[in-house]
Amino acid sequence: MSIFSFFRSAPRASAVQAKERLQIVMAHERAGRTGPDYLPMLQQELLAVIAKYIDIDQNKVEVKLDRGGDCSTLELNIELPAREAAAKALKESAKLAVAGNRPQPAKDGDESDAVRMSAGGALTNGGVKKRR
Amino acid sequence: MGKIIVMTSGKGGVGKTTSSAAFATGLALRGFKTVVIDFDVGLRNLDLIMGCERRVVFDFINVINGEAKLSQALIKDKRIENLSILPTSQTRDKDALTREGVEKVLNELSKDFDYIVCDSPAGIERGALMALYFADHAVIVTNPEVSSVRDSDRILGVLASRSRRAEQGLEPVTQQLLLTRYDPERVERGEMLKVDDVLEILAIPLLGVIPESQAVLRASNVGMPVILDEASNAGQAYLDAVSRFLGEDVEHRFVTPQKKGLFSRLLRRSA
Ligand SMILES: Nc1ncnc2c1ncn2[C@@H]1O[C@H](COP(=O)(O)OP(=O)(O)O)[C@@H](O)[C@H]1O
Ligand SMILES: [Mg+2]
Repeated sequence: MSIFSFFRSAPRASAVQAKERLQIVMAHERAGRTGPDYLPMLQQELLAVIAKYIDIDQNKVEVKLDRGGDCSTLELNIELPAREAAAKALKESAKLAVAGNRPQPAKDGDESDAVRMSAGGALTNGGVKKRR
Repeated sequence: MGKIIVMTSGKGGVGKTTSSAAFATGLALRGFKTVVIDFDVGLRNLDLIMGCERRVVFDFINVINGEAKLSQALIKDKRIENLSILPTSQTRDKDALTREGVEKVLNELSKDFDYIVCDSPAGIERGALMALYFADHAVIVTNPEVSSVRDSDRILGVLASRSRRAEQGLEPVTQQLLLTRYDPERVERGEMLKVDDVLEILAIPLLGVIPESQAVLRASNVGMPVILDEASNAGQAYLDAVSRFLGEDVEHRFVTPQKKGLFSRLLRRSA
């Protein structure tokens, strides 16, 4: 290290940020790679449950996953059918917070992965509920 | 039986072709019968880097399609004994690479050659998949830069799941990192990922660090693999990497800034 670099204050060198960003994004990508892609299954099963109670259009369902540093969000957008003829299209969204990261790749046959997600306090509106 | 080495990266422009040419030449210099194959169908470039572009008559795809014999398409290097080049087609597309066709050519080559170096195209589609499918060894060419590191990780995933060795449950493809275009001065200034950072993230053994070097462009200008420029940093770094590949224990050079003496600063001589 030269005497000059001693004086140059670079506590957050860009290379350090590069490393941190890579570590975060790649932890997620690796987990998604080795584990089964459970999102489609999760979506189907959630829909099956909701469909037991409400008549929903399968095409009006959106599942989004936003993977963050230490908290990931699973967002489920379901457009509910209106009872009355010309009724307003109702949109309800339920947000499930995935507890913490998913650092562990899910093993084949490890069904507990979906279970590990907790709805936490982030479940808005008390879950999927029809607004009248 | 020849060993198949793939130079792969996911990302383009990181130095796969430069490294394929250098590595194949290095192996031939060490006495191994070596052939280097261009898998970048449609974007033939290995011939230029190897300096044999005016001798291409038939190519890899011609051989796959049975339009030419392998011996007609192979170009013997004029400088180095033991070294041959199999150029690719400039006019067809990647669909011309069938798994059966590639396998047939590789099988034939592995009877005559000790090493078959496959220069992969960028991406993770057909061309890249074909280049890595039959590999015994993978050299992951990576630049100390976020997108390159991430793409290398994707390629490692592909090697672990979609190579022949993975599919057939054989011993996995060996994977080694070749970190290229490394600039120790920028690393020291905190502007570039360190070797150790990249190693920590990718978690594979280090084959070599090739410094950013003006010698690479100079060598490509004249169609000479940079490993033949033995006075250059990059050439020496490739020689070291080949030695390590062959199992020798060679210390890493060019990973810290060179101390610039007054003399060299006056001359401004950069390798
Ligand atoms: N160590 C190096 N120093 C400087 N330039 C380099 C180095 N390695 C490669 N290059 C340059 O980078 C560019 C891309 O290299 P190339 O080998 O064609 O990459 P790829 O085959 O991965 O697309 C070329 O212009 C080459 O001269
Ligand atoms: Mg190339």
